[in-house]
Amino acid sequence: MSFGRGGSMKWCVLIICSLLAANARAEDPKPTPENTIHVQLAEAVKPQTFSRPLKFFLVDVVDRSGSAQPMMVFKPRGGIFLDRTPTEITRAGLETCLKSADMLAKDRDSADFLLTVYLFHFGLSDSFADFFGKVEFAVALKNPKTKKSQQISASGTSIAGVAVRKKNIQKNVQEDIENAFGDALRNLLRGVKLRDAITALDVPADVPEAPAQPAAAGAAPAATEKPR
Amino acid sequence: MKVTLLALATLLIWTAPALAKDPQPQYKSIEAKHFPRAEGVELSPAFSDYLYAELRAELTKAKLFGQVIGEDEVVDTADAPKSLVIVGTITEFKKGSVVKDALIGFGAGMRSLKVDANAARRSDQQNLTAIHVHVKVSPRWDEKVMARFAAKNIVKQLKDSLKSEAKAAS
Repeated sequence: MSFGRGGSMKWCVLIICSLLAANARAEDPKPTPENTIHVQLAEAVKPQTFSRPLKFFLVDVVDRSGSAQPMMVFKPRGGIFLDRTPTEITRAGLETCLKSADMLAKDRDSADFLLTVYLFHFGLSDSFADFFGKVEFAVALKNPKTKKSQQISASGTSIAGVAVRKKNIQKNVQEDIENAFGDALRNLLRGVKLRDAITALDVPADVPEAPAQPAAAGAAPAATEKPR
Repeated sequence: MKVTLLALATLLIWTAPALAKDPQPQYKSIEAKHFPRAEGVELSPAFSDYLYAELRAELTKAKLFGQVIGEDEVVDTADAPKSLVIVGTITEFKKGSVVKDALIGFGAGMRSLKVDANAARRSDQQNLTAIHVHVKVSPRWDEKVMARFAAKNIVKQLKDSLKSEAKAAS
């Protein structure tokens, strides 16, 4: 081991690098029970009524946000994490709303429409000095009888005030995301887009099922890109 | 002692109606829409979303409307005459100049935003009020500050207009 001029320089660089790495690792927040929030709908959104009673089945909720840490909603001050993944929260919220109006089908076969949700954003968005909650998703609505489908988008936003104490920040962030999530579900379930899509896709109950088609022809849209 | 108690009781009786009075919202619901940008207006993609969210928050605070509903939400036909829709356009945005602001001052180089909006009745699409907002802020400030000021101004103008309309009707 040399401690000459070149050697000491190398040691200095090594020590600085290790300190920087340790610092970077320390800044990356980890979920703990103290910094984890439980997001759920405060009140189930009542869906709009249709010309005939309809049943929906939620096939899947797919995360298209591209976020490496979808459960981390706030990074500074030790971070704030969700207790479940955004896809689980969305599924639970949507099923609660449909169930409250008796519109949730027990299984795929008994459903009038199949829903596949593509989640683009769930959590906080960039903001100036406050919390800007944003939930954005697209829903592929498919009629299993005709195999036809349409895609509709929905979004919800909410703004909450800033806070100084960590406890209050957590409370505000939780409320903000819950409000944005409720708003997005309301936008979907009470929106004109859903009504128009149902009107276009719905067929009377006595119409026989369409013959099997090639997979590509009737498949749901890929929804790989954010609609706008 | 008796006089003080009597005075307190009188004060309570006098102020009680004012405290208990819960103002009835003039309109059942209002729907704010995302404001599109006119040609040539260069703002970040998130700006429209933020302005929309701020507008909804300000409308909720105004307490003039029973409910602030989401964009493109279904409204009962019976409620349509008592429901408003706000539509608008971001007509102009100047990003300003920090150098001009620092060297000249007195409003030179300020960041500015112009928004034109209309509040219409849902049932017959009749325009109730036309709103013109011009916001100027320092070029050092975030564009979201402008969104907040614009939303506040829009709701203030709407509130004043609806109040004067209600006064004229009564």
